[in-house]
Amino acid sequence: MRIGAKLQDKLDLGLLLPSVFLIVFGLLAIYSSTINHPTAQGNFDRQFFWFFISIAAVIIAYFIPPHVYRLLAIPTYIFSLATLVLVLLMGKTVYGSKSWLGIGTLGMQPSEFAKIGLILFLSYWISRKQTDINSVKDLAIILGIGFLPIALIMLQPDTGTAIVFGLLTLFMIFWGGISLFGLFVVLSPGVVMFVSVFGTLPMFIALGLILLLLIYFKRDLFVSASVFVVNIAAAFFFDYLYHILQPHQQKRIETFLDPNADPLGAGYNALQAKVAIGSGGLIGKGFLEGNQTQLRFIPEQWTDFIYCVVGEEFGFIGSVIVIILFVLIFTRLLKLASVARDQFSSLVVMGVLVLLFIHFAINIGMNVGVTPVIGLPLPFLSYGGSSLIVNMTLIGIALNIHKNRKRYD
Amino acid sequence: MNDSILGSIIRKRILSFMIIGFTAIVIFQLFKMQLLDNYFYVEKSMENSVKKKMIPAPRGVFYDRNFNVIVSNKPAFSIEVLPSEYNVKQNTLIENVLNVKPGYISNILVANKRYSPHIPVKIRRNSDFAFMAWMNENKEMLEGIDYDIELQRDYSFGINGSHIFGYTKEISASQLRERRSIYGMGDYIGFSGLEKQYEDILRGNKGYSLTLVDSRQRTIGRYLEGNEDTSPTKGNDLILGLDADAQLTAEKLFEGKRGALVAIEPTTGEIIAFLSSPSYDLSKFASVTSAEYWDSLSSDMDKPIFNRATQSIYPPGSTFKMLAAIAALDAGIIDEKTTINCPGGLQFGDRFFKCMHVHGRIDVVEAIKKSCNTFFYQLILKIGLEKWSEYGKQFGFGKRTGIDIQEESPGILPDSAYYDRVYGKKKWTKGFLVSLGIGQGELGASPLQLAKYTALIANNGKSYEPHFVRAYIDKHTSEIIPLSFNKIELDIDQKVFNLIQEGMFKVVNEPGGTAGNAKLDNIEVSGKTGTSQNPHGKNHALFVGFAPSKNPKIAIAVLVENVGFGSTHAAPIAREVIKAYLDKKELKNDSLKEKVAKVN
Repeated sequence: MRIGAKLQDKLDLGLLLPSVFLIVFGLLAIYSSTINHPTAQGNFDRQFFWFFISIAAVIIAYFIPPHVYRLLAIPTYIFSLATLVLVLLMGKTVYGSKSWLGIGTLGMQPSEFAKIGLILFLSYWISRKQTDINSVKDLAIILGIGFLPIALIMLQPDTGTAIVFGLLTLFMIFWGGISLFGLFVVLSPGVVMFVSVFGTLPMFIALGLILLLLIYFKRDLFVSASVFVVNIAAAFFFDYLYHILQPHQQKRIETFLDPNADPLGAGYNALQAKVAIGSGGLIGKGFLEGNQTQLRFIPEQWTDFIYCVVGEEFGFIGSVIVIILFVLIFTRLLKLASVARDQFSSLVVMGVLVLLFIHFAINIGMNVGVTPVIGLPLPFLSYGGSSLIVNMTLIGIALNIHKNRKRYD
Repeated sequence: MNDSILGSIIRKRILSFMIIGFTAIVIFQLFKMQLLDNYFYVEKSMENSVKKKMIPAPRGVFYDRNFNVIVSNKPAFSIEVLPSEYNVKQNTLIENVLNVKPGYISNILVANKRYSPHIPVKIRRNSDFAFMAWMNENKEMLEGIDYDIELQRDYSFGINGSHIFGYTKEISASQLRERRSIYGMGDYIGFSGLEKQYEDILRGNKGYSLTLVDSRQRTIGRYLEGNEDTSPTKGNDLILGLDADAQLTAEKLFEGKRGALVAIEPTTGEIIAFLSSPSYDLSKFASVTSAEYWDSLSSDMDKPIFNRATQSIYPPGSTFKMLAAIAALDAGIIDEKTTINCPGGLQFGDRFFKCMHVHGRIDVVEAIKKSCNTFFYQLILKIGLEKWSEYGKQFGFGKRTGIDIQEESPGILPDSAYYDRVYGKKKWTKGFLVSLGIGQGELGASPLQLAKYTALIANNGKSYEPHFVRAYIDKHTSEIIPLSFNKIELDIDQKVFNLIQEGMFKVVNEPGGTAGNAKLDNIEVSGKTGTSQNPHGKNHALFVGFAPSKNPKIAIAVLVENVGFGSTHAAPIAREVIKAYLDKKELKNDSLKEKVAKVN
């Protein structure tokens, strides 16, 4: 191990520091949005406490011997599924979802910790020597690994997190080296489904294109026919999918299209968020001076709408700094994913990247009004212990992989 | 790594492109919102720091025909909670003081969850003084709870009028959706009676005041020195045809009785007095109606909510004899000299239809005066169902009068189509007709319809559709704007009305007439009694009449349920109401109590 020790890289501050800066930004915003609030005043202190716990999590994740993660893949995945089942049986309902598990006075969200389980296990399974990601059977197993926690999370129901898990699985398959045809098989039903939303004619055009592509790929008749049938099914599936969405989610999709249609109802948050950010201007109204934030026009602003506080009180400059910090993390992770020591590590890093990016994109997107309102926290900034600890653990794992990337043992 | 067509370099590029692409979109959007459209959003956010408070507008007042106020407004306190500031830990405490079930407040808050937390939610209307005092004492420890002054209806002018005025109610979610431009959450809207019918006239325009608040939500001052504030404007006042004295007298006389009374001014169709008894207490509806009071009303066997004056349909009994007489005279089937023999009844087929006395040969005026059944049994057989029912329709039976409250029944006026429908074609015989001649059988008229019919007889076939409201006072110009109603003009010979009026005069004023009880010393009254048979208990007593007999100013119909004869129970009530209306001076000298004693 002495040789290995010499081959260790130093701590990647380019990844750690932006994360810490974002948490500090988050703490300021949480302070601002809760200091004058009658019931949420303690949130800052709590988040501050979680910050220290999460630093401890980074340290632990950083110093664990790298091969241990591979060993932990199966147990963490099974543990994740177990807690997801448990939360359905005895969980606490918060905001309409049965997503909280109470341990003594503390509560935790199993779906947060399941993120670690899913990333590790997918990485482990895809990187196994005997796994051929382009065989239909193995691809199906990998999709199944992703589908199990998604199904359990949909039962809570927490569609936002389920979407994250679905995209996470797809991106990891993508990074896992799926062939163009494989990617086509996995993605085409989704594309057809999406196109079908716009009517019958686009649907038939999409199906026609699928047919042409199948001819181009020249696979055997049975495989081509099966893929086509799956696509046709997907085309008719949208209607069903729309109906399994919760009414408040359907409403959100509708109000995303026109937030002014229901300014006091479901469109309220989206509209007030835009007002808060837009009124911030170049340098913002100043810390604790944002009237949108201080007058609490947005309920529970310290969770999903924390970015508005930044936008209003720190203006365009503050908003862009937050985005740059995120982009620094993303590019760092992307680079790490391509230089990692082995496929397992590479996939884990990609999992971390994708997870953070999806949260970032959906959350910031809804805050500035370019995506529908889907309740997902902004990593590092939003109030919430489970989320913060899990995100920092993932950063710790990535730091670990960085440290050990030159090791060959 | 298996790189078939997509190499890992390409995959990395795809991901970089996604990250950079999305970031570019977000930064562009931020640039647009925070720098280009900043002005627009700053303005929006300014609106947010200017707090808007609604000031309720008084509804229009109701005046009677002599400009006495009969319904007005009074202030009331309501307790409201501002969800953004309210601390739910206070729930138990406040629920205890309010004396409501646990969960009461959180239920209300959940129901209003979809609205902005900066819109106050009312948790109690018409709060009592004790709660207000408690709130004031504990101001320091209470968060996000405040009171608001509202206006509610004041009924303290002595007149009950529950079935006339109706009540207002907090606007429902569906009504709010339809009329969002005018109404806001928690506003009151007319729900029944005149309040509903004249909602658009009575409703005032809410005002609002604007207050500046700082980032801590403290009030700094008034926005633009109050120049942008709007003061509320009161709704338009209504002038009713109602006469407070007549109405009050009628209400007193009906205490403890079941029935209805409608008095109309024959020349205008304006309603002078109107009641349905038992009634209910409108002041209990002025604010939140307690569940107990509502339950007690809806479970009451005497159905106080039911409007007997417009919705009850009883056979009109002998008061309907004039209709047969009018039909026969106008159609030329009889004239004033035609006599019919009354041997004490009529044998028709295998049934004998009784008369009260043996009247011998009798003409139409005498038949009305003595209320001879035999005469009218015979008469309707001569007229035939079709002709009779045609005249009935002219007087408005079998259809709604269109009075200006919504609660009304059309009643039943049978014709051959009706009998065909009920019994089948050719399954009914002329025998069905006989009792219609004396106003019994399958026949239903509301007291309102009877009053209208009486008014038409009194005023020689000319009147207006009955209505409560004469005019409204324009809130801006104070002008009196009359409302228009459908005119009625019957194509019936004047001679016919002369004979009928003569008969009705004799009913009250000659010995042998059936309604001597309706006679007044200084005013000539004409009328007709009736007794409505019903399967539940004693007969209903009826009286229709008008006064003065020449140039009548009031036509009246009185129904008292399950008491017996019309002459004994209904006629004296009509007499006192007529007196209260026409003989104002005496009413002031004579105490009401004595009058009530005189009647009973």
